[in-house]
Amino acid sequence: MFQVIEPRPAPVPTRGPAVWLRRNLFSSPFNSVLTVVTGALVAFSLFNLARFVLVDASWGQVWANMKLFGVYRYPADLLWRPLSVAAGLMLLLGAMAGVGGRGSITANAFFAFQGFVAVLSVVAVLFWPSVRLLWPLVLVAGFAGYLLGRAWPRVAKVLPWAWALWFALGLMLLYGVTPGSGLLRIVPSRDWGGFLLTLVLFTGIIPSFPLGVALALGRQSKLPAIKYFCIGFIEVVRGAPLIMWLFIASLLLPLLLDVDANSLPAVMRAYVAITLFSAAYMAENVRGGLQAVPRGQGEAARALGLSAWQTTYLIVLPQALRAVIPAIVGQAIGLFKDTSLVFIVGLADFFRVADIVSVQPQSLQVTGGVKLEVFLFIAVVYFFFAYRMSVASRQLERQLGVGVR
Amino acid sequence: MTEAATSTVVRADAPPGGQKIIEMEGVNKWFGDFHVLRDIYLSVNKGEVVVVIGPSGSGKSTLIRCINRLEEHQQGRIIVDGVELTDDVRAIDRVRRETGMVFQSFNLFPHLTVLENITLAPIRVRKWKKSQAEERAMFFLEKVGIPEQARKYPGQLSGGQQQRVAIARSLTMGPKVMLFDEPTSALDPEVIGEVLDVMVTLAKEGMTMIVVTHEMGFAREVGDRVVFMDAGQIVEVGPPEHFFQNPREARTRAFLSKIL
Repeated sequence: MFQVIEPRPAPVPTRGPAVWLRRNLFSSPFNSVLTVVTGALVAFSLFNLARFVLVDASWGQVWANMKLFGVYRYPADLLWRPLSVAAGLMLLLGAMAGVGGRGSITANAFFAFQGFVAVLSVVAVLFWPSVRLLWPLVLVAGFAGYLLGRAWPRVAKVLPWAWALWFALGLMLLYGVTPGSGLLRIVPSRDWGGFLLTLVLFTGIIPSFPLGVALALGRQSKLPAIKYFCIGFIEVVRGAPLIMWLFIASLLLPLLLDVDANSLPAVMRAYVAITLFSAAYMAENVRGGLQAVPRGQGEAARALGLSAWQTTYLIVLPQALRAVIPAIVGQAIGLFKDTSLVFIVGLADFFRVADIVSVQPQSLQVTGGVKLEVFLFIAVVYFFFAYRMSVASRQLERQLGVGVR
Repeated sequence: MTEAATSTVVRADAPPGGQKIIEMEGVNKWFGDFHVLRDIYLSVNKGEVVVVIGPSGSGKSTLIRCINRLEEHQQGRIIVDGVELTDDVRAIDRVRRETGMVFQSFNLFPHLTVLENITLAPIRVRKWKKSQAEERAMFFLEKVGIPEQARKYPGQLSGGQQQRVAIARSLTMGPKVMLFDEPTSALDPEVIGEVLDVMVTLAKEGMTMIVVTHEMGFAREVGDRVVFMDAGQIVEVGPPEHFFQNPREARTRAFLSKIL
């Protein structure tokens, strides 16, 4: 005869470090041996690394060249300019974080960067007289932005415009306005360098995004002229390495625009190459997303009377871009590191500065050289930024997953 | 039911006296070499409910998808509410504004809430104010029985609820004609009833409907005419009683014996 079975609680799994160890590391004699051997090797290497980092390494040269790592030959009396741009960046990032609120993705990213700025501010106050006031100002700008966003969430509406303005004004401020020797004098882009240049080139990902979306949509166009132009552009650009496009841009761009090679800033030429290169890859990522949106979505939108353009930007694109966020962030991380290739056209980005520092006369006087120290240092900085992007992307994916399908 | 005397083509003309809102005259369509619609003559009066049945691949879905130009016909004329469907994009948009469509796979927009799904087209196409659009949306959500789901995303709803949202989405645009493309085929059996109930109510209120379906109970209850299609042709047409009790064509009888 039928009887209702009352629900019973699930069995409680046995927990604790001992259980975990036995299950994961010592589940069989062979695994135990493997664990011990691997553990010994890792411990041995880590010990050696720690000994080098803490005892044997001479960090003096890294410390002494912080300005080169930061901005390279950018004039010392004009450091307020890049730092104002940084302050603007933190202000806007802070405002976004404030609007999002504690725990939001932008807030998490903002506080990570704010921590980075805080460390630099402390160091600047203690050791770097020329930027003693400026770094704390960047920190303050960040907090001000955050408070602004918290107090007045409607600021979110103007943020896209503020970002665009920051982008344009920032580049103008970095480059300068007037010839001569004033506060706003032009700094030739050959003097930009270090982490500043790496970040400037990395912002090439921003214009490459709308370009990539346009190329991806163009590739699906019914008009043959647009379609084949887009396919041709994408395939040609992807068909050669970035390093070659950097070369070509620095020689070809002046020719295409029919101007003297030296009248176009070197950074601008590299920037154009990086942006277009990134756009081609972006287009292919976005195309993957477009193909992932079911046909029925567009049909339903058209059946409701939405125009082709409305259907694309209200229905298809939002879903397509959501599907390819991981790929786009992956591309951003890749591009962040690929900016190091600009050394080939004579620019001194963060990576190239490491090389320059390691062959300075003072560096060569250090027994054993300082190559390892210098490259360990830049590795840590690259890692911080790349890893932070990857964390943000994971959080974004998780957040967008809510309530979707 | 009338039949052209000079040809074997079956004409599914609307009963005389009514006001014709859809007219298909000699429509032909091919997918590549495949002749999917063959000499279709079908017209529908205002307020009529026409049920289209037939085996899969017979062209039923393609037929109604031609009416709002989701598919392009290559020969013949299709006139919807006085507007002929041609390559003219403005004419197509005008027809689509007046024609609601409900799909087998719902096709709700997963990135928008239920309310946003419904108000999107009224706001963007009809240029209504947001408040007005939301008011109308809530009216139709109540009509289909799920006003409490307005703030949820489609992914959080059952299939039956999603399809009812899709119906409300179409109705909010205030269409003159509703096209249903197998609206219950993707649903679990126990929720088919809730969607059919909404459709029956709609039919009884006088909405002009063309329904592609396998639900013979629905056809019998509210269908004014049943159209049987096979291999891209209209094989037989008539009122449901005639159709289910006394079908004339052997092909119709074979099909009905399989599904009843």
